[in-house]
Amino acid sequence: MGNSKLQKFFAPLLNFWAQHSVAVSLVALAVAIAFPLVFNQQYLITVGINCLMFSVLSLSLNLISGYMGITSLGHAAFFGVGAYTAAILSTRLGVNFLGTFLCGTVMAGIFGILLGLPTLRIKGRYLAIVTLGFCEVMRIIELNWMSLTRGPQGISGIPRMELFGFAFSKPIHKYYVVLVLLVLTVLIIWAIMNSRVGRAISAIRDDETASDAMGINVFAYKIMAFSFSAALAGLAGAFYAHYMSFIDPNAFNFDQSILMLSMTIMGGVASIPGSIFGATVLSILPEALRGFSDYRQVIYGMALAIMVVWMPNGLLGGFNLKHIRQRLGVAKLSKKTAKKEGKENV
Amino acid sequence: MSEIILRTENVTQRFGGLVAVNDVSFELHKGEIVGIIGPNGAGKTTFFNDITGMYTPTEGKVFFKDTDITGKKPYEITALGMARTFQTIRLFYRMTALENVMVGMHTRTKANLIDCILRTPNHRRTEKEAEKRALEVLELTGLSEHKYDYATSLPYGLQRRLEIARAMATNPEVLLFDEPAAGMNEAETSDLMEFIRQLQGMGYSILLIEHDMRLVMNICERLYVLDHGNLIAQGKPEDIKSNQQVIEAYLGKGGEITDADA
Amino acid sequence: MFLQQIINGITVGSTYALVTIGFNMVYGVLELTNFAHSSFYMLGAYISLFTMTSLIGRVTPTGFFIGLLVSIIITGFLGALMDKLALEPIRKHNGAPISALLSTVGIQTAINNAILLIFGTVPVAFPDVFELGRFNIGENTVVQNIQVAIFVLAVVLMVGLSLLVYRTKLGSAMRAISQNTTAARVMGVDVNRVITLTFFIGTAVAAISGTLVGIYYQRVDTLMGNAVGLKSFAAAVLGGMGSVPGAMVGGFLIGIAETLYAAYVSSSSKDAIAFVILILILIVRPSGLFGQKSVNKV
Repeated sequence: MGNSKLQKFFAPLLNFWAQHSVAVSLVALAVAIAFPLVFNQQYLITVGINCLMFSVLSLSLNLISGYMGITSLGHAAFFGVGAYTAAILSTRLGVNFLGTFLCGTVMAGIFGILLGLPTLRIKGRYLAIVTLGFCEVMRIIELNWMSLTRGPQGISGIPRMELFGFAFSKPIHKYYVVLVLLVLTVLIIWAIMNSRVGRAISAIRDDETASDAMGINVFAYKIMAFSFSAALAGLAGAFYAHYMSFIDPNAFNFDQSILMLSMTIMGGVASIPGSIFGATVLSILPEALRGFSDYRQVIYGMALAIMVVWMPNGLLGGFNLKHIRQRLGVAKLSKKTAKKEGKENV
Repeated sequence: MSEIILRTENVTQRFGGLVAVNDVSFELHKGEIVGIIGPNGAGKTTFFNDITGMYTPTEGKVFFKDTDITGKKPYEITALGMARTFQTIRLFYRMTALENVMVGMHTRTKANLIDCILRTPNHRRTEKEAEKRALEVLELTGLSEHKYDYATSLPYGLQRRLEIARAMATNPEVLLFDEPAAGMNEAETSDLMEFIRQLQGMGYSILLIEHDMRLVMNICERLYVLDHGNLIAQGKPEDIKSNQQVIEAYLGKGGEITDADA
Repeated sequence: MFLQQIINGITVGSTYALVTIGFNMVYGVLELTNFAHSSFYMLGAYISLFTMTSLIGRVTPTGFFIGLLVSIIITGFLGALMDKLALEPIRKHNGAPISALLSTVGIQTAINNAILLIFGTVPVAFPDVFELGRFNIGENTVVQNIQVAIFVLAVVLMVGLSLLVYRTKLGSAMRAISQNTTAARVMGVDVNRVITLTFFIGTAVAAISGTLVGIYYQRVDTLMGNAVGLKSFAAAVLGGMGSVPGAMVGGFLIGIAETLYAAYVSSSSKDAIAFVILILILIVRPSGLFGQKSVNKV
């Protein structure tokens, strides 16, 4: 599990993290809140918004591709469904952003069910190509359904987010909106994975046949996880539409799906901090490589290959803080008993 | 004799032209330990899969306590009260022993997605109950000290035991073991025999497929013998031992079955 | 008119089949969706063209064949190198299959953008060195001889690769690895060497395919790989992942369907048709047209 050398090196750090996970999370949240106040420059805040938005996307993808083990190469399609739903509702019907967020989420979830129902019985390796195909089909529909999506011109003039007369007009406002979405996503994924439903999801990843024999309706759980993951991507999409105020089909193509998957896997299969880490690194990397101008994409590609070769399960894949905590608890307990017994022997 | 808890009527399973199981009828009574034996390729595991819903029999019917379960899905059958283990161990390897057993509790707990996300009282109750019961099962199976170990890190014998623990957690009336002694040495097999007897004492009815003659002859009350998909004999172990047809199926003509035969 | 569309469809299908057969051979051995395959296809076309026009400066059939040979060797070597550097380490550490997939995505990004840097976005003309001409069937159906040549070469490559996989020692080693890597190793198969060789052959075939498609369209550009890359996956799944003849049938099917759809329904949405067919067929036959149905063994 994981890279053993790396594991040894980081063991004390991970143990500390496992024992103080709530505190570490709160510190991370505080840093995220303070970031735009300290670095109050539009460029940096925009990069920050990207990191947070892609964290939501990579986390939602982790639910099916990491925790459940179904490779999806079409996550961007659901992101797009959410964005188009929000764009169309707000530009044509003047729906408030809370309404578009809700509708974008629900619509993407419905698309998840529609794709999942006929395809989730297909074997995994074929399913990956089917999700890829779905992403292409959706992009081509977005390009061709002129009356609804305005095709390649895209939809512009998407109104900004407003609530009770307050307009989220500055980047810093949008930053905090997406931060709220990310916190919400983290809490939801954490709650699912630490429950009966989450155990069923992990069981399906490890062995579908045995899960079936243990009374889990594998297909139903797959549909549920798939549509839930799609719905969260739709939420991110709705945010994206309002944040950019302009969308076109290129933002939701196959390359975006691959980008999201890279974030999920590189950060760590089945790991919440891993997903956030992966999204942050791969959002910042292109910015950091700007100095290399034309060579940027070449280096980016090689960097991606080197990272997965170096850490095939992602940076934090294979580390489960809860398990580390449990084991530390046991170790402490047995140490205590050993001491006691030692004293008694003396 | 006590009531019949599980029975099949003329079950036949074909794969294309191949008849893997041919017209097999059997019954398991409450509280019994029954074994299905036969040489390799006799159709034992296929028959097992027909009973547990992995396959749907081409012909014939399967009844669990007078309910027709033919063609039901494995997860539905497990929910009714039957649980199995696998010939090649199939644990959830990236989960701890405790979590493996808690997965077994799936059909006996009810918290749904919304409960889990909102952390409702129902969720909390479910978690508490599941963990309590899972710890009990681990205690019963002697796996308590390994509760936080990953399934994959357990030694082979304990992995077998964990698989049984996981099956017990589904709260079944019938336990089905597919070659539980496969890959075990003599001492481990003896432990297993003792353990299976304890399970019978707890009130489980047990059906097992086995190669290990010593185990089968010692603990099974009745045996069914399959050969090339056909049921060639049934009865008490001592009768089976001297059944000419069974001896021929196992060893060819002129052989003799001893306890040591695997 | 209809016959003409069918002939065009077969030609487009041949180009898809050419990309898919090499891809599918690698898939058959490793179960790896190699995203970089279409990049090698494009790279192969560029190397052939560049060698012919710039290095030896002879725009003749001889020059073409020398260029093709150089391209086969260099591209094949790069494919093998990719396996050694970017995939073998992941296999060694038992990394998730998805990691290997992402590694090939990284290589694809790097190669595509490197070519973009070197050759720019403007398509380069591929001289018609053979000047094969054309012939008519009936009144209005024109067949170019190069179309026939592409079709024949696609079939020849398919047969050649099938013979390699099913009739040679290397092929049986490949099949052994695909069925059970550990068992193959125990039986004395040098697993990593066979896999690297498979990559060499697969990418060499990609170079041949790219060159042929380049000479057919009489141009080479940096997008030629992207256009067929995703569709070749669809073709591979349709024909059954890992099956070389299946890849060919899948390629033809998609090529013909796409051409007919573009001619009679809509040309702007034709790129979706490959995937629509794919999803529909998988719903009916979850293992593809020629994939073997696997019985769930427990």
